[in-house]
Amino acid sequence: MSPPGAPHVLVVEDDPHLAAGVMENLRAEGYQVSTAADGAQALGWLSGHACELIVLDVMLPGMDGFSVCRALREQGNTTPVLFLTARGDPADRVRGLEAGGDDYLAKPFHLQEFLLRVRAIVRRWDWYRSASATAATAVLRFGGNEVDFRAFRARAWNGEAQELTEKEAMILKVLAEHAGEIVSREDLLERVWGYDVFPSTRTVDNFILRLRKRFEQDPANPRHFLTVWGVGYRFLGEGEP
Amino acid sequence: MKATRVFQLTALALVVVAAVQVGWWLYDQHAYTVEKVLAARGAYREQTAAAQALLDAGVSPQRVGQLLPAIVVRDGRAALAPQVEQTLTSEERHRYNQYAWEGSFFLLALALCIAVIARALRAETRVREEQESFLALVSHQFKTPLASLQLSLETLALRTPPPQTARTLIERMLADLARMELMVTQILESARLERGRVELRPEAVPLAAAVARVLAPLEERARQERIVLSSDIAAALCVQSDPLALDMVLRNVLENALAAVQAAGGGRIEVQARAANGEVQLSVRDTGVGFAPADGARLFTRFTRLHGSGGGHYGTGLGLFIVRRMMELAHGRVSAHSDGVGQGARVELAWPEASAASAALQGSTT
Repeated sequence: MSPPGAPHVLVVEDDPHLAAGVMENLRAEGYQVSTAADGAQALGWLSGHACELIVLDVMLPGMDGFSVCRALREQGNTTPVLFLTARGDPADRVRGLEAGGDDYLAKPFHLQEFLLRVRAIVRRWDWYRSASATAATAVLRFGGNEVDFRAFRARAWNGEAQELTEKEAMILKVLAEHAGEIVSREDLLERVWGYDVFPSTRTVDNFILRLRKRFEQDPANPRHFLTVWGVGYRFLGEGEP
Repeated sequence: MKATRVFQLTALALVVVAAVQVGWWLYDQHAYTVEKVLAARGAYREQTAAAQALLDAGVSPQRVGQLLPAIVVRDGRAALAPQVEQTLTSEERHRYNQYAWEGSFFLLALALCIAVIARALRAETRVREEQESFLALVSHQFKTPLASLQLSLETLALRTPPPQTARTLIERMLADLARMELMVTQILESARLERGRVELRPEAVPLAAAVARVLAPLEERARQERIVLSSDIAAALCVQSDPLALDMVLRNVLENALAAVQAAGGGRIEVQARAANGEVQLSVRDTGVGFAPADGARLFTRFTRLHGSGGGHYGTGLGLFIVRRMMELAHGRVSAHSDGVGQGARVELAWPEASAASAALQGSTT
């Protein structure tokens, strides 16, 4: 029996043996677990419940896992998704991440690696939520921009409303927590992704570019998201004079 | 494989170049003939003008005729001799005809070569794509039971489960192995069917007995899963089919029905048969999970699994594909119908009818 308040994981897997195996192991690790055998069942469950992680099989009958994840993100559900799939090629991995997934594990997988990844995602999610729990930490104001970390929404300096992705919000959170300090690309990868999900630190650069486009008055000459060449980035709340 | 493709592509390129060259040759020859004809006509026009000048200068027509044999004089006017004009026109037409026939023949032959090589290349590409997609599907189908097997083993290695849990894990692993074994058998069977390497020996087989043989081992499982099996087939009904193929078809269809009803948490499976229009029609109705009406045909393609295996069903996605190919080889028919998900399903099979007398005869000789 899982302790009350334990992180809740939804396992969406059509193979009953695999679903049972995953469920039993997650329960043994102290998680609360619910299962769904297909995408429609999962979306139905998620419309009435919340959880800390969704373990989502890609090849599901009817609606595939990528479509389920896309549908969730379109509904504004930012619960982390760990894809389980029989296909392990890089193109498929990229598809999963583009669909809004957080991590990707190819079948057959090692139990301990799976549990480690689950723990890492839940820990990151916990950190983000606790770091955005109080009124003071839930909202970040800089250079005329206002970011609501809990709602994943922002209002830019020009009054434009912005919807943030989970990763954008997390990167911004890490940078804001270390305002004025240099944060390396590797640190950002570790804090936000936690794993070798992406092949290179270039991914971080792309996310920073996106944040500049959203929040800098002149993205080509940033005042808040500064590049420290060869190291990483520095966030300045007040803007560079 | 790669060398053959390079050779085919090189041959195709050569033939295309040859076709372009023939086209160019035709154009060049046509232009050359036009030029020659124009030059000849120009020369004759000059001769006619010279003859006219001689006539105007008072030279006699006879003398003009001797000097310029291609020119005739009529009523004091010089003109090109009709036979010369005719020869010129006929030579021109002959050349054009020659180019048209020879050119068309060469171009047609080359177009045929291009079509043959392109067709071979397309067919080869299709076969390669089918093979790749088949391999991808097969590997995907294997990865799920493999993942389950690995998970169970690693669970046993990582934790020390109580005996009851350990037994459950072992049973799960045995079921995963059985599933993979079934998949290997079905993949080999479907590959043989695809290559046409299955030789059927049709004979008169009593259908009721064949259905009873398949149903018997399923009855215990049906009872456990709260599934009522019923069969109503006249003992005299005989189908013309290979007995082993018939057994395989019935087994796949009935196992499928059982899985569909099991996934729905129990229900009924009714098997009925009747003779009509020279064939025996068998209907397998179930109250199982059913499927969307539009998916009826898709069920018979390889690796199609419409509903999940929520009820413990471990389909490989090959069973109904094998049924369709077997029925085609047996000159029979198969179709699947459902009013929708949750509405149950009906599989209709039909074989050529055989007389009961010939079945009895076969029974007595074996």
